[in-house]
Amino acid sequence: MWIGIVKRMCFMLFTLLVASIIVFILLEITPGDVAKIILGQHATEEALAALRDKMGLNRSPAIRYLSWLNQMLHGNFGSSLYMTGVKIGPLVLRRAVNSSLLALASLVFFVPLSLWLGTIAAMKDDTWIGSLISISGLLALSIPSFITGIGLIFMFSLVFPILPASSNVPPGTTIFQNLERLVLPAVSVSLVMFGYVTRMTQSSMVSVLRSDYVRAAFLKGLPRKYVIYVHALKNGLLPSITVIGMNIGWLFGGLIVVESLFGYPGIGQLLVLGLQSRDIPLVEVIMLLIIALYMLANFLTDLVYSLLDPRINMRRQ
Amino acid sequence: MVSLIMTRNVKAFLRDREPFTFIRRLGGTTGMLGLILLIFWAVISIVGPAIVPYSATELHVDVAYSPPSLGHMLGTDQYGRDMLSRIIIGSRSILTTALGIAILSLVAGIFIGFTAGYVGGFVDEVIMRFMDMFMSIPSLLLAMVMLGIVIKPGIWSVMLIIAIVYSPRTARVARSTLLEYKSREFVDAARIRGESALYIMFGEVFPNCLGPLIVEGTARFAYGIMTIASLGFLGVGLRPPTPDWGLMIAENKDLLLQAPWTVIFPAAAVASLVIGASLFTEFVDRYIRRV
Repeated sequence: MWIGIVKRMCFMLFTLLVASIIVFILLEITPGDVAKIILGQHATEEALAALRDKMGLNRSPAIRYLSWLNQMLHGNFGSSLYMTGVKIGPLVLRRAVNSSLLALASLVFFVPLSLWLGTIAAMKDDTWIGSLISISGLLALSIPSFITGIGLIFMFSLVFPILPASSNVPPGTTIFQNLERLVLPAVSVSLVMFGYVTRMTQSSMVSVLRSDYVRAAFLKGLPRKYVIYVHALKNGLLPSITVIGMNIGWLFGGLIVVESLFGYPGIGQLLVLGLQSRDIPLVEVIMLLIIALYMLANFLTDLVYSLLDPRINMRRQ
Repeated sequence: MVSLIMTRNVKAFLRDREPFTFIRRLGGTTGMLGLILLIFWAVISIVGPAIVPYSATELHVDVAYSPPSLGHMLGTDQYGRDMLSRIIIGSRSILTTALGIAILSLVAGIFIGFTAGYVGGFVDEVIMRFMDMFMSIPSLLLAMVMLGIVIKPGIWSVMLIIAIVYSPRTARVARSTLLEYKSREFVDAARIRGESALYIMFGEVFPNCLGPLIVEGTARFAYGIMTIASLGFLGVGLRPPTPDWGLMIAENKDLLLQAPWTVIFPAAAVASLVIGASLFTEFVDRYIRRV
């Protein structure tokens, strides 16, 4: 078990290293003259030279990568190119806290609901209730979150104006003082995951309910509720855990679009702003952070899964 | 020779699943709804230029922000462009791009996955580990950054980049279906007959893999639509004044409360197309697995 975990962590670190190389190549080497891209076509030669000097663009790519990596490892994330003088580290940290709040709110909202609905759908698999839940799940997971968000704004800010359409936090306050602004973005982000988890729970519960050991429990005369909630749920929920873990990755994609739609001050919105203003150092830090979190989420999912299901051994992966 | 036998085997694959059964099983399911939505948008995109009431890109600032009326059935946007015409013309780029993504990512995935799976051993390990690393970056994020370095993205760059981002995923599917058949007797027989690796892969194994690959292709089409729309919305996809649906939503999103028709209609178009593609994918999946 421990050997497996250590192995996995080594592979994760290696992957992160490769990912950092990919990010660096994509952002600093492929585009050609980075200075021109940042300053635009009409920049003067002196300004270009100054920026090249500041970013160390005159050195060879390999040296630039190594010194960049060195800076990153020492926690020195540099300062933003676009918002002059703003340190990237604290800025990203502040935004990441906001994003995690949004992610947490949506997880709290969707996980219990989708597990519950999925179980109900499995119990009533061959009735219209089962099909209805299954189809709603498919619809929920296939509509991109920003479309859901637009629908929600239309319903709850325009037709029934009860919630704010923008999640922009007024200056001088934090998101904790404006929690009503969290509702619509959180629901938009969670709908996709809601669809996935509901359908996964449904299909795995259906197959568990058809298995021999559940039939044996029924035939033994145990109460129906006891069999479903105690015997079947233990196995039926295992695949849902994997899907929830996988969806943490989807969550980042969802966060990027939903935060831009609502103007929510999170990391996704910051990334889009960074890309639009060609703020390359900022984009690099955010990408590495998201990739690291994504890998960590996958790792923890596998770990939890192997702890819950002794048949799966961490070492074999 | 390879292509001849391939077509024969593919024909056999299709014969096993007669079109008649396909249509019969389609009847009365949500798959039918999906197919109808897809056909609707396909027809709209083909006859589009002939039926649009106005130009999709010409500016008429005097009629900016007119609400839906008889003259402009879905209203106009901030430059007075007719929303209906823009949505109709916009369906062309999103459909062709998504189709291109599905085909390109499938072809690339088959090539990579089959090579890895067939050669096996060290090569397989290296290729698949590399694919895993590529997949450790969330797909929307990777597509965004790759598009960010393209100076002026067009349909081709959007198509190519999303296809590249998707191909590790299709490669995984292709590899696992190949491995399912690789150790069967008919493959051994072909190898003993002295057939080339290329023939064994595409003449013998490929027709058996068609089912899962078709499902993967339709799924990529549906995901492709989502990703194109999201990238357009984030402003890294096609550039103005192209009538791209995601871009239209992004351009008007700040006026959602004042001029809702400029956002709601393109959003509904995206939603209906994505729903159509997903419902159809679900049906194809069930049909091929014969559930």
